Amino acid sequence: MKILRPNPVAIFAIYFCYNLFCIQKASAQLSAGIEGGYNKNYLVTNNANRAFTNYQPLSGFTIGIPLQYKIADWFAIETEPTFIQKNYSQQRSAFFVGVYQENYNNYLQLPLMGHFMFGGKRLKGFLNAGLYGAYWMSGTVKGVMPNILDITNNQKPGNSIYNYQNPYSFNEAYTFNSRKDNRMEAGWAGGLGISYLLNRRYEVFTEARLLYGFTDQQKKYMINQVPRYNTTYSLNAGVMFHFKK
Amino acid sequence: MKKKYFLLPVILLIALFFSSCRKNFSNVEAPESYIGGSFNEVFDAFWNGMNNNYVFWDIDTTNWDNMYKIYKPIFANLDITKTSDIQKSVQYFRAMTDGLIDSHYNLTFTSPISDSFVSPAYDRKLRAGIIRPAYVFYQYDANYYLDSPYVYGIDSVNLLNGNPTEAIAGTIHKNILYLGFNQFNLKNSYTGTDNGVKKVLQFFLDYLHNPPSDFKGVIIDVRGNGGGDISDLNFLIGNLIDNKLTVGHTRYKSGNGRLDYTPWAPAIVTPQTGAIAVKVPVVAITDIWTTSMAELTAMSIHALPDGNGHTVGETTWGATGPLTDNEILNGGQFTAANFLFAYTSSSEFKYIDGKIYEGKGFPPDYYVPFDLHTFQTMGDTQLEKALSLMP
Repeated sequence: MKILRPNPVAIFAIYFCYNLFCIQKASAQLSAGIEGGYNKNYLVTNNANRAFTNYQPLSGFTIGIPLQYKIADWFAIETEPTFIQKNYSQQRSAFFVGVYQENYNNYLQLPLMGHFMFGGKRLKGFLNAGLYGAYWMSGTVKGVMPNILDITNNQKPGNSIYNYQNPYSFNEAYTFNSRKDNRMEAGWAGGLGISYLLNRRYEVFTEARLLYGFTDQQKKYMINQVPRYNTTYSLNAGVMFHFKK
Repeated sequence: MKKKYFLLPVILLIALFFSSCRKNFSNVEAPESYIGGSFNEVFDAFWNGMNNNYVFWDIDTTNWDNMYKIYKPIFANLDITKTSDIQKSVQYFRAMTDGLIDSHYNLTFTSPISDSFVSPAYDRKLRAGIIRPAYVFYQYDANYYLDSPYVYGIDSVNLLNGNPTEAIAGTIHKNILYLGFNQFNLKNSYTGTDNGVKKVLQFFLDYLHNPPSDFKGVIIDVRGNGGGDISDLNFLIGNLIDNKLTVGHTRYKSGNGRLDYTPWAPAIVTPQTGAIAVKVPVVAITDIWTTSMAELTAMSIHALPDGNGHTVGETTWGATGPLTDNEILNGGQFTAANFLFAYTSSSEFKYIDGKIYEGKGFPPDYYVPFDLHTFQTMGDTQLEKALSLMP
């Protein structure tokens, strides 16, 4: 005889939705606002085979329009169309100090998160958790590299590649390669913050957020491909406007 | 009750968050790190070495993934302790690399197959029937065309890959300057201790800097010239110009992906101290053995700013991507598992016309094919064509 085993996740989801539905009418409220901040993005990959070459995080900024639909006193659904930079650099060391490339990447991002609130009436803590999708709109590459076909006339022995080859500085738009670049990104979004209700309509907040990309920046185009993921930490602040209930 | 509502979804989402969806990162090793205790290791070192270091994947039509699927199981069945299998492996490496367009590319092996050699460009040209013995012509031209006396010299001190440099300079009809040499190590000879090539170059430079009033042109003969030191581009072409000359662009690997590239950097020839811009015709004579730096020299002459640069002879070998050690530009040549050495370009070169001549060769402005019978009966028709371009 076949034994039917209940799926605990499904039971939890039904239970969760039922409770939300029961309390929705009393608490439903729409809020919108503006949020911006500073971020630091890490490119997570593996280049252990490369001599004196490391990836480093770079700073960027975020600006978004948070939209919340409050379902209960403690819970809201939140989305936030966002412009966000996810930058990183590749730096070389030792004999190659001064060789680097900075990648500045611009994304349009849309998270969908649960917004969980706790605390007092005016001062509250909150936790955001959910998923995001992002589109890699554009990029800029900037840096300095040795120019193998721009040899210095007066080579002097020394501990720098630039004693032998002149440096070439570049700062140009990144050219996407349709065979390689995966311009769609998805990942987990989570944040922790505090908010303060100024009056019935306005509430200010600050939030530390983590974006953990789980899609490779590259399409699957070769065997033994080393994946490249973005992990972004941001510190944001903003203000929300609460529409009438 | 509120606490219960709050905690359950939070726990679920945190659990999901940390479960992650990222792929595991496999080890990425330098091909030199493999010990080579089995053909499995040798194959992995070589295949990954090529995957990460070869610079022409954007334009090369070789399906490297297919090579993995076909040859991984074949190499797995070879026994590295058997000499017959070691010898057999050479034919597999040859087949894997047969279509590579990098015309510098070759594979050399360690004992017991150190006499084996794989060169896809050579094999292709051999099949196409365009391989003939490599000749240098400057000695013949000195005997039959150059005014007497000309200057001949050899430098056996400053060697390039163990080979001495040989050069001849002189005039034709007293007003056409001629320079021929077997390889590019000119700056080293010129700045080195007293040697024969230094005297040849001194004659060449003195003439260029103090030309006669009826100066008609310059001929630089790079036939049979296998290339050499990249510094010679400034040393030689930099004495024909008085402003920086951009002749093309280069780019390197910027990551382990096959299509990870840096931006294009301009390939610049810098004028040398005391150089005067040459306004009379400058002609490079090329042939199928004009390789690497010799090709870049011909291409640079063709790009001279006053339109006075020409090339005569045959299409060059097609090895235009500059080379240096792998660590310098994070790409190019490597050793795989102590078993083989892959000699390959470190950078891609795009000429000033926007075309990449790698694997194709640079075609001459005036095509004059070499033919031994014609040469023996009528003389150096390629040089004669170059002379006909002088006013």
